[in-house]
Amino acid sequence: MENQGLVTLGLLDLTLAYGLVLLAIALARLRRIGQEGQMLWASVRMVFQLFAVGYLLHLLFAVKSPLPVLAILLVMGAFSLQVMGARIKRKMPRFYQVVGTSLFIGCGGVTFLFCTLVVHYTPWYDPRYLIPLAGMIIGNSMNGASLAAERLCSEMRERRDEIETALCLGASGRQASDPALRNAFRAALMPTVNTMAAMGIVSLPGMMTGQILSGTEPIIAVRYQIAIMCAITGAVAITAYLILMQGYRHYFSKAHQLEMD
Amino acid sequence: MTDTEEHKPVTVRLEKICLVRRGREGALVQLLDDVSFSARSGEITAVIGPSGGGKSSLIRLINRLAEPSSGSVYLAERRILDFDPLQLRRRVALVPQKPFMFEGSVLDNLQRPFLYQQEPPPGPESEEVRHALAMARLDHGMVQRDARSLSIGEQQRVALARALITMPSVLLLDEPTSALDRRTADALGATLREICRSQELTVIMVTHDLRLAERVADYCLYLEAGRILEEGSVEELLARPKTSQLRRFLAEPSDQEE
Repeated sequence: MENQGLVTLGLLDLTLAYGLVLLAIALARLRRIGQEGQMLWASVRMVFQLFAVGYLLHLLFAVKSPLPVLAILLVMGAFSLQVMGARIKRKMPRFYQVVGTSLFIGCGGVTFLFCTLVVHYTPWYDPRYLIPLAGMIIGNSMNGASLAAERLCSEMRERRDEIETALCLGASGRQASDPALRNAFRAALMPTVNTMAAMGIVSLPGMMTGQILSGTEPIIAVRYQIAIMCAITGAVAITAYLILMQGYRHYFSKAHQLEMD
Repeated sequence: MTDTEEHKPVTVRLEKICLVRRGREGALVQLLDDVSFSARSGEITAVIGPSGGGKSSLIRLINRLAEPSSGSVYLAERRILDFDPLQLRRRVALVPQKPFMFEGSVLDNLQRPFLYQQEPPPGPESEEVRHALAMARLDHGMVQRDARSLSIGEQQRVALARALITMPSVLLLDEPTSALDRRTADALGATLREICRSQELTVIMVTHDLRLAERVADYCLYLEAGRILEEGSVEELLARPKTSQLRRFLAEPSDQEE
């Protein structure tokens, strides 16, 4: 690998950095927020997962056929679905089906378009590009998707009276859940919109920082960042939209009856 | 008190309705057990009984907010399953126990049913709005007021006007006076009676407010633990309860009176 000007991190450096996580855990313990175990587990997971993926990528980049690359993308998608499923306590009906297909279509579609139309590289499945780009798109869409799914669920619960009143007045399930859908969609988009607005001032995005650290010209890195941010926004919007549009249906019967336990 | 004619046409008929739900612990709970009755147009039919007796569940079956486990509901001798559910709910209006006001003015609330049907909503001066407000005994000057800032009694009336604006033939009321003080409740009761007569409405009302039933109902059913234990004219039921359950219910002080 070409790493002129690149400062590599040794194990000792990483250990020092990990000390910061331990500090965070110590603080959590001090304040008794009762999340120390989770924090420790999450950080250990991060280390192992990243090393594993690093070695995997190392191997993958040598791959010269599309199927294994696509398989990896599917595994990434499935994994993000599992992470979301574990974190969301109150799930909408048919959570996995709804969120899974939405992630697949939203992220898959945007990644494909982005890689073929915006970032032209050949072959289209070149894992060096496809995997990190898809990763960023899926990772960010996951947040939007969780928010959409979680919010839809809580809105439907809180607005139960409103929804039933609307149904009584002759509204369809779609019409009755419209305010809930609107709020959930707004909530899902909000973090992405905030990130875009703050980008460059409050935060220097990870990808750009990474590229710059590894020797890319800042202007080129910026262009990449803008492009990926646009792709993320599109993917978040499409994924959240699909989740909501499929999700609300499962709250209603064919006769427009609200079905909640 | 009533001029009950025996020949008024039956508009709503329930036939052998059973409703079974899965309860919290997963066990099956029978909410309604073999409930049959008829309600006639131009009459107020009251379903009385203690809370938790299945009254609210019952009323939700008539506009198909929920489905019975077995049995059928008929509207004008047609099974309600044969109606388009959204059209059915325009003909069979339900005013829930807690009146929910949509954000916006009274007018916005009255326009809702039209928007749902993608029909042009009537304006503030329209005949529909005037008539609906008049039926619910609301002052027309109220039309631009913020619906959520109204008193609970006024909200109850707005909910009534909103339900009546599409000219339903059946009006279902779930505990219409539960949130009202006695005076407001009496006034609402009088209003209901008038609307029922003048619009030839079929009114079915569930309530545990005996006083209300006594003042306005033409026909009365006593529902306890999912079964209709007695039915007849209100005077008959109140004066000569046949079952020990109804006797006990009548003896209990009404929790309406404060």
